[in-house]
Amino acid sequence: MAILNITYQGLSADYELELDFAASDEDIRRIAVEVVRSGGVRGLHVAQLPANAFDQFVVDRLRAADGAQRIYLRPKVPFGA
Amino acid sequence: MRILICGVGALGSTAVQYCRNLDAELRLVDFDRVEAKNLAAQWFVKQSLGKNKAEAVRLQLANFYGAKAEAMGVRLAATNAAQLLADCALAVDCFDNAESRLALAAAAKTANVPLVHAALAADGTFGLVRWDERFTPDREDREGQATCEGGEHLPMIGLVAATLSRSLQDFVRDGARDDYMISLSGVSRTS
Repeated sequence: MAILNITYQGLSADYELELDFAASDEDIRRIAVEVVRSGGVRGLHVAQLPANAFDQFVVDRLRAADGAQRIYLRPKVPFGA
Repeated sequence: MRILICGVGALGSTAVQYCRNLDAELRLVDFDRVEAKNLAAQWFVKQSLGKNKAEAVRLQLANFYGAKAEAMGVRLAATNAAQLLADCALAVDCFDNAESRLALAAAAKTANVPLVHAALAADGTFGLVRWDERFTPDREDREGQATCEGGEHLPMIGLVAATLSRSLQDFVRDGARDDYMISLSGVSRTS
């Protein structure tokens, strides 16, 4: 079990995911499109989400403070100054 | 404690403003100069136009709040990184490109100085505050991609900068190194 956090158009939501951690970044992006389209991610339902919506997104695999495995699918953040 | 702030554009200048009461000495690094377009999204006033950004922030801190800081109007590079990091207990990355972020990360690692990064998405809907041990710089989707220069993203810049400042405050207080994710949904601690 892992928590997949998806951030899209400024909204961010968690989805509980039964997933082998060997899943590739491409797998994560594809799954995210499916669950967001289906309404499976509470607070983040986009029925007409394009198949390539997450193509440029970054997949981070981190361990939360409580020890849970978390996967973050997020926009790139190249800017600062 | 001395803190090195690298890049005082949108995120850096705004974060420094929120750090003015921090129990630390700030060393500001930026080679760039203040342009009129910067006034929309960066913590600069009209009187700072034309000045070096690090010097402009130093002057604004002194004039508005009586707060002291050190300004270094140079570009951080392998040749001067050790000097800039000297006597610093913490480094902060607010740069706007992956190359500078990587150069700073390498220098901070060599100098054994903790490093925290702050970064924004191009569309102003998302940001990160993340410590170096869990951070990989993102590159632009295409060179010259639109940045957060326009004033439309100022509220998100403020959110990310405030979160960064809080993270610095926590580090100064007890050495905490917490990561944060900032979206329009709110601020979430991620470590």
